[in-house]
Amino acid sequence: MAKNVIVNRVKEFLQKYPPFSFLKEETLFAVATGVEVMYFEEGEYLFRKGDPARPHFFIVKEGAISLNEEREGQATTVEYCDEGDVFGVLALLGKRPYILHAQANENSLVYAIPVQVFEAILKENSRVATYFAAGFASGQVVVRSDLSSSKKARTLFNDPTKDTGLLMFSGQSGLKFSSPVISCLKGTSVGEAARTMSEKSIGSIVVRNEQNYALGIVTDKDLRKRLIAKGLPYTTKVEYIMSSPVITIAQQVDFAQAYLKMVKNRVHHLLITEDGSVASPMVGLISNHDILLSQGNSPAVIINTLQHSLEVKEIAQLRQQSEALLKYYLENEVSIDFVAGIITEINDVIVQRAMSMAQSIHKEEFPEMQDVGFCFLGLGSEGRGEQLLRTDLDNAIIFEDVPKALEQTASNYFHLIARDVIDVLLACGFHTCPAEMMANNPRWCQPLSVWKGYFSKWIREPDQPSLMMATVFFDFRPVAGKSELAEALTSHIYGEIEKHKLFLNFLAKNALLNPPPLGFFRNFLVEKSGEHRDKFDIKLRAMMPLADMGRLLVLSHRAVGINNTFKRYEMLATLEPKQEALFLEAGQAYEIFMRIRAIEGLETQSSGRYIQPEKLGKLQRQLLKNAFLPIEELQKMIRVRFQLDYFGS
Amino acid sequence: MDWSSLFGIRRIKPRDFVLRFKEHSERKIPNSRRIEELSFLVVDTETTGLDPKRDFILSFGSIEVRRLTIPVQSAKEYYLKTKKLGKEAIKVHEIVNQSLTVSRERMVREFLADAEGKILVGHHLGFDLSMMEKAGRSFGLRKINSPRLDTMDLAIRLDMGPHFDPRMVEYKRYSLDKLCSRFRIPLEDRHTAAGDALLTAQLLIRLLKSARGAGILTYADLMG
Repeated sequence: MAKNVIVNRVKEFLQKYPPFSFLKEETLFAVATGVEVMYFEEGEYLFRKGDPARPHFFIVKEGAISLNEEREGQATTVEYCDEGDVFGVLALLGKRPYILHAQANENSLVYAIPVQVFEAILKENSRVATYFAAGFASGQVVVRSDLSSSKKARTLFNDPTKDTGLLMFSGQSGLKFSSPVISCLKGTSVGEAARTMSEKSIGSIVVRNEQNYALGIVTDKDLRKRLIAKGLPYTTKVEYIMSSPVITIAQQVDFAQAYLKMVKNRVHHLLITEDGSVASPMVGLISNHDILLSQGNSPAVIINTLQHSLEVKEIAQLRQQSEALLKYYLENEVSIDFVAGIITEINDVIVQRAMSMAQSIHKEEFPEMQDVGFCFLGLGSEGRGEQLLRTDLDNAIIFEDVPKALEQTASNYFHLIARDVIDVLLACGFHTCPAEMMANNPRWCQPLSVWKGYFSKWIREPDQPSLMMATVFFDFRPVAGKSELAEALTSHIYGEIEKHKLFLNFLAKNALLNPPPLGFFRNFLVEKSGEHRDKFDIKLRAMMPLADMGRLLVLSHRAVGINNTFKRYEMLATLEPKQEALFLEAGQAYEIFMRIRAIEGLETQSSGRYIQPEKLGKLQRQLLKNAFLPIEELQKMIRVRFQLDYFGS
Repeated sequence: MDWSSLFGIRRIKPRDFVLRFKEHSERKIPNSRRIEELSFLVVDTETTGLDPKRDFILSFGSIEVRRLTIPVQSAKEYYLKTKKLGKEAIKVHEIVNQSLTVSRERMVREFLADAEGKILVGHHLGFDLSMMEKAGRSFGLRKINSPRLDTMDLAIRLDMGPHFDPRMVEYKRYSLDKLCSRFRIPLEDRHTAAGDALLTAQLLIRLLKSARGAGILTYADLMG
């Protein structure tokens, strides 16, 4: 009589939420049967810090549970759990005493899931294991969650049957792949294998057995992760560090199948064999790089066409085409680093094209200007190389100082150039900057000496308008023209900051002005009124704080030349090894936000800035939650480092 | 002379499981036992009507409450195998899968086994238990003499105080639906025996927790 309405009801509830949603029907049924229903009144404790782990973990059925810790005698809520949130998993994972208090925030119904039932599942089901490993369950926050496994998990949890939009690649002829396969016999030392790889300048080498069948593959990454990082000697045998088995594919396979196989297996290489099995002679090796770049619609082709395009219409069309590429990359979880790099490159080439078109139009009218150097700067997200969507333009022009007599002519000329370039960008679907921080605004089309004056003023008089300018202008990046001018400006800025160190404290204070995402674990802090009512502003509340703090820290280290927020954090991680984990997480969090925003923007044909929290799945919300954590930690660090508590306003 | 046979009441020799239950139910629960240590069996029946004399049980559901939690595993649901279960009843109660049905004997036997040593709980419990007593009569069951707790009475008592006569209230205000909505228990699977038993069990836990606030801490407090 086990199959009754109650067990089914519990099962139906669990089914909606990860990790239960990954379970098969029968397994889920067994789990549901083991559930104990508990009810807690507001204020009641489910468990306290230090209590030995219960034989079950929890999922909220109704109500809300807060996980608290005590700091200096004060109870602070670390996380809120509402319907479908899983918590108290230490019992499952570590069997250690609880590290947080769990208290009912309101009258709550909670399901207790016996650990015993779940342990077996944890061993068998890799998705469930990843769910916990990635720290998706609530209250795991104190154990630092690794966002890279979050990212991995996200891919893993995507519906495997989802149409990946491979149609855009249809009509392509066969695959290009490298042949013959470079391989080494098992028993070869890693040192020798690395030498072969280096000689042939390849990033991977196949390990074969005596029958010449592939056993595994050693990639640059394996060398780094499994040999060097582990401190193993170069005499280690290749089979010890290789990834195995090699995923193989038959020779006559088409692009889509090959690509899908890579995505599904999370590998970057496929070995092509005669009959497609491992026990078959090797024919060639294909990497994801080969796949992405060898296609007709590849970024390389788009960029190449752009570089030779003379028609605004054609440029606009190519930019439109890149949008499809962007969508494809996002759906296939191509790394944001790569995606942002490609899109930035495309945008830059458009500016460069527009620039040379404008120059040739006005050349005859301004012969005296042909030797005056200038530089077109991208500002804001464009300057950081993070502008995935065609959002607002922020840019400027610096030109060389000219003799007094030529000043007006230069100003007229570069204004014309700026106007033409921006017209092309608008035709390509970008939007004007509401604050008019664009090169066609005479204020932002100036000789180097004026620019130096601007920055000096902002640094010396860090009032609110100056700091606002700083957040946009400090992220400048040379896009077209003479980059020496931008470099001259950079060294001027560092000189000024050196003289006026207090500026950084002001900048720090400003970086903490944006509402921190703390406190919306339960409910996303959404807009209270206006057009975007009840939507979450991912730019203002998640991305800007990270970008502002990244800029500040990079400036404080006097580090030059890195503008990407996520790359800035990567660099900060190497500059401050003590904070490495936090910085790496911050960078990964930023990538997650960029991706979510870009996906939202493509879906709703908007800037992607406003997100409807209910539209996100549970897992997406949890991913966001995890990604907010580094923001809070960074804010604390900055408050201490720049002594903001002692720093009056 | 056997008086009962004289009046046409046939005395039935109780079956083993009935005797066993009778023997067990004579053991008393200590008065000082705390509420969170008590075990409850929450029951509900779906019947053909409201007259215990004429009507009979179509299905029976029960679930336990221990340590103020509800183990889902303890949920039971029986549909009775009966000749009278015509097409109409199937339509109304959607009892389609006859293979899930059990005999009346099995239902009574399992119910009595589950009820051993527990406090029986229900909303209008008296009705459910008279139906069960009727179903068990032919097996020699006369009176289910387990301790009884009616969630309706408990709710009234908590609202009105211990000396209030429950008969004075407007019953409609204390229906299972009304109480569930008052305590924000979502009405899922209403009017299935197991579903109603689960709702009642959730109601019971809420009532017991607020009873602690009213100073009702032990078995004696609860039953007194």
